[in-house]
Amino acid sequence: MDIAVRTQNDVSLIAFAGDFDTNTSPEAQQALDGIVEGGGHRIVVDFTNVDYISSAGLRVLLATAKRVQGVGGTLHMFGLNETVEEVFEISGFSMILKVFRTEAEALEGV
Amino acid sequence: MKGQIRKSFAVTVGIDLAEIDRVNAAFAEFAEVHDLPAKIRRSVRVVFDELLNNAISYGFEGRDSGEITVDVELAGDRLSVTITDDGKPFNPFREEPPDTLLSTQERRIGGLGIHLVRQAMDEVSYHRRTDRNVVMLAKRVTDD
Repeated sequence: MDIAVRTQNDVSLIAFAGDFDTNTSPEAQQALDGIVEGGGHRIVVDFTNVDYISSAGLRVLLATAKRVQGVGGTLHMFGLNETVEEVFEISGFSMILKVFRTEAEALEGV
Repeated sequence: MKGQIRKSFAVTVGIDLAEIDRVNAAFAEFAEVHDLPAKIRRSVRVVFDELLNNAISYGFEGRDSGEITVDVELAGDRLSVTITDDGKPFNPFREEPPDTLLSTQERRIGGLGIHLVRQAMDEVSYHRRTDRNVVMLAKRVTDD
């Protein structure tokens, strides 16, 4: 999995590329933890190049959402493909996490 | 069965998480040959990822080696997957499904994998046969 992080006006943008599964979720967790521990509490996750997400990936997102919400922050996501969106629907994550269509929409109000 | 061509493959792997990729690759080839729709491929990917991960991570504690066999069969429009392992007895479907209507703070981290598997397939079952766990799953192949 490739991970790219950049900061834009106090918002941390993190882009994942590849499969978000058992094998790759520890590195994703580490990257997100790094942002939160560095004081980044407004996070936007770019899913444009994520092909697949398993429950291990969902756990990482849920843990991060809990963490940032606990300090008054936000976690937004955008660019989900059909496969990822289906997993979000089934798991109920589309109701508890903030999912947007485009980067511009995700950045708004983060 | 008369008038029906049965197509199948089986692959046996060891207890290493990297083996999941090998099963996925074998299924991808099978799916390609039999022209299975994308939805079915996604569903089976969920099954392998979640169930093999569980079996490999928790089923063989204290052991150096073990054996997991995956059988896939396409009979007419029914695709069945059987996962057999010689790990400790474990019924993955005994757990209560998570409450997917809870808020972020209320949601427990975990229990999601099996829920995804149940949703992905039409039928799921578990049997303990002598010293093996046998998980059987099936789904009807549709084009949508």
